[in-house]
Amino acid sequence: MWWKASAVFVLLSVLSAGFLVPLHPGLVGNSPTTITTGQAFTMSLTGYNTFFTRSADSMRIWMTHPSGYALAAHQLRVLNNNDMEASFTVPTVLPEQRDAMTFHLLTDDPLHGTMTLVGAIQVQAGVVDDFLQDERLDGWRNTSVTGLHPQEGFRFVNLPINYESIRNLFFHVPMWMVMFVLLMLSVWHSVRYLGAPSAQTDARAEAYAETGLLFGGLGLLTGMLWANYTWGAPWSNDIKQLMTAVALLIYVAYFILRTSFDEPEKAARIAAVYNIFAFASLIPLIYIVPRLFSSLHPGGEGSPVFNREDLNPNMRIIFYPAIIGWTLLGLWAANLSIRLKNLETLHLNR
Amino acid sequence: MDRWHTFTALLGKELMLEYRQRYAIGGILLYVCSMVFVVYVAAVKIQPQLWNVLFWLIFLFASVNAVVKSFVQESGARQLYYYQLADAEMVLLAKMVYNALLLMVLGALALVMFSVVAGHPVRDIRLFLGTLILGSVGFSIALTFVSAISAGAHNSATLMAVLSFPVLLPILMTLIRLSAISLALMQDTSYWRDILNLVAIDAILITLTFVLFPYVWRD
Repeated sequence: MWWKASAVFVLLSVLSAGFLVPLHPGLVGNSPTTITTGQAFTMSLTGYNTFFTRSADSMRIWMTHPSGYALAAHQLRVLNNNDMEASFTVPTVLPEQRDAMTFHLLTDDPLHGTMTLVGAIQVQAGVVDDFLQDERLDGWRNTSVTGLHPQEGFRFVNLPINYESIRNLFFHVPMWMVMFVLLMLSVWHSVRYLGAPSAQTDARAEAYAETGLLFGGLGLLTGMLWANYTWGAPWSNDIKQLMTAVALLIYVAYFILRTSFDEPEKAARIAAVYNIFAFASLIPLIYIVPRLFSSLHPGGEGSPVFNREDLNPNMRIIFYPAIIGWTLLGLWAANLSIRLKNLETLHLNR
Repeated sequence: MDRWHTFTALLGKELMLEYRQRYAIGGILLYVCSMVFVVYVAAVKIQPQLWNVLFWLIFLFASVNAVVKSFVQESGARQLYYYQLADAEMVLLAKMVYNALLLMVLGALALVMFSVVAGHPVRDIRLFLGTLILGSVGFSIALTFVSAISAGAHNSATLMAVLSFPVLLPILMTLIRLSAISLALMQDTSYWRDILNLVAIDAILITLTFVLFPYVWRD
């Protein structure tokens, strides 16, 4: 009883925190995105969750490059809370002898902290000669980027492409873990069944597999919903999506197998054998094969979205209880299914 | 020594059975030929990429059809007789080895047929044949076991396909990747890791089948 109550409590907290905690302020867009050297230009910046009007005086803006070049904006005009304009004067030559270079946008003020827009501006060389060697570096280091303010407060990271959808971490990822816990319990009961056959153990194996399949389906659905906004389509033939679909197929096959025998004892025994066999072949499916092919998933190679380092402590505080809460809910659901099956058996035997 | 003798006798029995029922193997060989021909007629001009996928699809379907009869063809009484004469594991091993050999022959036939009608894009024939052998072994292990599982069921042929396809998929994807390398569709110098993966999957499957088989045959 206590664990069901704690499951409800943890999940309600996860739901409210997961949906109500705001994202850090962040930059989401700029225009123009391509400029040429030797010009003065005004760039408009768009923010999300920002209050530009409150920090119009303290805001500093730079165009920065990983090699250490920084060009500060000389003038700033705040239009409203989410829009502002920054004026830059770009030197006549690029800091390096190249046709074009990509710069990041960096803003800093005490209220918002540091905000970046990675790869925001492409600067094309108007002059490709090297007679202005001295001006090269001087012009691009007109101010040093110091005294930055870290982003503070209990908020989630604001990442490009992800934005608000990063909250799906608390709902999509735990589904997989719960699926695995339930399927492992199902296999464990199948092993126990082969050791000491009893209708009770078989009912448990079946109930855990059912609930595991349910959570797998939910994981697939929440993932597709998220992918629709971040990858642009619900289904992208991503290797993890394919593998998951196959894993679900295996367990649908398991339920078909269960119904294909006349004698319930034989059905239970053969189903237990297939359950163990299928789960073991699921391991290369989940862990080996996805490594052979690149995945779009966060953390995957060439993935445009977040990786492990981006999972900031604030999200972990909610993510770990979410795993526990959903796992308890999954166990609860399986428990109800087992009790229902036992009642059905009692009813049949009467 | 005695076990070896049992094994060869069982393997000989499988071969003899196949020889006596020539219609069965004839049917499978014709199945491969007609499938290759249908693919050729339907696709007209086959690019190497498509060749690779179609070859393994044909091999997959032919394998399922070839192995499905493994445990179904003999009556329950006759199987009981085998299990009294020899270890159940020996019966399974003999069937697996026989099926692996059968699948290699089928694969070689499919390769020859496909090369004749649809062109021969294979660059590294040694790697391709090695892939085919590893694939035959993996398919044979998984399919023989699934055949044993589905033998007593109502719709064993359909069930066989439903149960085995998801299990075969990791093997099939690794096979397609390896053969893409042998067709020079992909550059990968570390393909031995894929081979190692394939061997590891085969090892996992064979260990499991031998642990689980005692629970399948006892009726």
